[in-house]
Amino acid sequence: MQVSFIQKPALKAFHLEGYAQGTTYHITYYHTHAIIRQVAIDSILNGIDSSLSLYKPYSLINRFNRSTEGIATDHYLKTVVAKSFEIYKETGGLFDVTVQPLVEAWGFGVKHPDSLPDTARISALLKCVGTGKLSLKNNYLHKSLPCVKIDLNGIAQGYTADVLANYLRSKGIQNFLAEIGGELVVSGRRQPGSEKMSVGIEAPGNDPYEPAPYQRIVHLDHGALTTSGNYRKFYESGAKKINHLIDPHTGYSFQTDLISVTVWAKDGITADGYDNALMGMGLKKAMEFVERKKDLGAYFIYTTPDGVVHDTATHSFYTLLQ
Amino acid sequence: MSRRSFIKKTTVLTGGLLLHNSMMKAFALDADHRINLGVIGCGDRGKGIMQILKELPTKFNIVAICDVLDFRLKETEKVLPAGSVQSVKQYKDHHQLLDDKNVEAVVIAVPLNLHFNLAKDALEAGKQVYLEKTMTYNIPQAASLINIAGNYPKQVLQIGHQYRYTPLYYKVKEMIEKGYLGKVTQIDCRWDRNWDWRRPVPDPSLERKINWRMYKEFSGGLPAELLSHQIDFVNWAFNTHPTTIVGTGGIDFYKDGRETYDNVQAVLRYGKEGMIGNFGATCANAREGYIFKLKGNKGTVSLLVNEGVFYPEAQTRKELQTVDGVTGATKITWNKDGGMPILTEPTKDGTYYAMVDFHKSIVQKQSPASNVMTGARTAVCVHLANEAIYTNTVQQWKPEYNF
Repeated sequence: MQVSFIQKPALKAFHLEGYAQGTTYHITYYHTHAIIRQVAIDSILNGIDSSLSLYKPYSLINRFNRSTEGIATDHYLKTVVAKSFEIYKETGGLFDVTVQPLVEAWGFGVKHPDSLPDTARISALLKCVGTGKLSLKNNYLHKSLPCVKIDLNGIAQGYTADVLANYLRSKGIQNFLAEIGGELVVSGRRQPGSEKMSVGIEAPGNDPYEPAPYQRIVHLDHGALTTSGNYRKFYESGAKKINHLIDPHTGYSFQTDLISVTVWAKDGITADGYDNALMGMGLKKAMEFVERKKDLGAYFIYTTPDGVVHDTATHSFYTLLQ
Repeated sequence: MSRRSFIKKTTVLTGGLLLHNSMMKAFALDADHRINLGVIGCGDRGKGIMQILKELPTKFNIVAICDVLDFRLKETEKVLPAGSVQSVKQYKDHHQLLDDKNVEAVVIAVPLNLHFNLAKDALEAGKQVYLEKTMTYNIPQAASLINIAGNYPKQVLQIGHQYRYTPLYYKVKEMIEKGYLGKVTQIDCRWDRNWDWRRPVPDPSLERKINWRMYKEFSGGLPAELLSHQIDFVNWAFNTHPTTIVGTGGIDFYKDGRETYDNVQAVLRYGKEGMIGNFGATCANAREGYIFKLKGNKGTVSLLVNEGVFYPEAQTRKELQTVDGVTGATKITWNKDGGMPILTEPTKDGTYYAMVDFHKSIVQKQSPASNVMTGARTAVCVHLANEAIYTNTVQQWKPEYNF
């Protein structure tokens, strides 16, 4: 008598990578065959750009910014704006997508100004800032002042990772990692060994070409990781370090003890939505904030007043580091 | 909750993306001591420096210019800041400019054979000095200028090897020091062009004055004018000097009465480092133009004047990509050709940073990174390279060159 085994075909790793949103993306997925086409990914990413990218003059977000009253949204814009409202509320306004005029004034936008803004200019711009000046009814995003402009760069990449993840799931893929611009979503495990996926947290001050470029390595099999930091985009004006994370309340860049925050959440849009605001809270408040939230974890790199760099993590995040 | 501290010091932010354009604007806000500057030599280089100084209006105020040729002074009026022409003194004799008490500092951008005398005169006149590279025409002058500068310790003498000041080249020096390239064994440098390297001459009697680069009496040719930058960078980045130099060259394309070679190659052996530097330039091919590649067993750095890319070797790449993913702020990305940009945006012209540092050295009374000692070392290299090229002999570094 012959015993027959029905052997499952082995899963293999497939990699896709390319350019989008002014950065790179990487997808690793495990399947028996290469079933994802690069053109499909690129077309999804182009679609998101056409909606959310400040770098595309024709994008929906730019049309909104140019409009006097608002515009009808698409699915992408609506989803991200709705989530932005939620996080605005949760963070007491520290995350605010209407910060765009300030970001641009400080030289971190698409257009580079000729000079740095003075206090009068900041006060004037602050009048156009505040998520309260936005409202979303049905599919229409309305602004109460024509000068209100939004910048979704703080949340769009995390959301993009979600969109890619959902696409992979829709193709029946269970084990994958989808990353764009350092924001990523993980599902399942490496195959065939079934190890958790490993993700390096970039070490500030280390160069990516250093032998050990990671501050820590995280192991996980579900959820999203995003990082916000002030260690790459900054310049110095006198004694002050001006970074790209602008406080919507004051109009100036956040000056806290945090160098970077890495957030774990169930999905990319949530993680990415919170990371900038946590940077703005400073270590103590950010730690308390995350500990209060279910389904949120965070890892912090910060400096003490004597200039020494330390790191720490919330309870839930710490389990990922083991 | 577990905390773990890291013994990393405050240099933590050096990995930052330098936003040069914004940074420049930021500088402009700071109150500065504005230095009254005289420019001696208003050829292409002198005018080029003045053009760049327009970006540093709070640091330098051009109060005097000097050139032996009238038409040069006339041309220079066009590059002076708008409205300043009336107030800028014009001299034909550099002694008169140096006598001008209003002039605090001078830029010297004259033919190489005049560098030594003008630098000496300027130091003796009490001026702060930015002297174009190569520092001196030959080795004896280099040694002599060190002695003279020693008599004026309160004055700055900065040599115009501006790559020492650009954030890009500075970063590369750091990468070398940290060992990212591994052991560097080969360095390839070229500075090629496909034109005769001549300037238009309005009157034939001015040929030797204007096209001084063509004549041995005035110029060290391609090695002095171009390759000296890369030679200086290697000296600086590896804190070394060559021990043996071989060279060859000829007038191989422009047989137009020139004396300096239009095609040169020098091989510098750095005995202590176990490293070979290939320095070449031709005036008859522009395909690759500027090349500067440093090749180590872990990776290669390939540099343009204002951009650079790191290419890890296969094993290094594997080590860098040990994880499934990376999360980070404003992640630095790999190029399509497998390289990683060293900075995320091109730098400004090196002269900009060099002039910022010249200002800083004067105000803070510091010795500049490109100073008389380092300038002398590079001048020796250039002299030896030219000896090797012109005489087909092997040149050795001598202990007396260790200034």
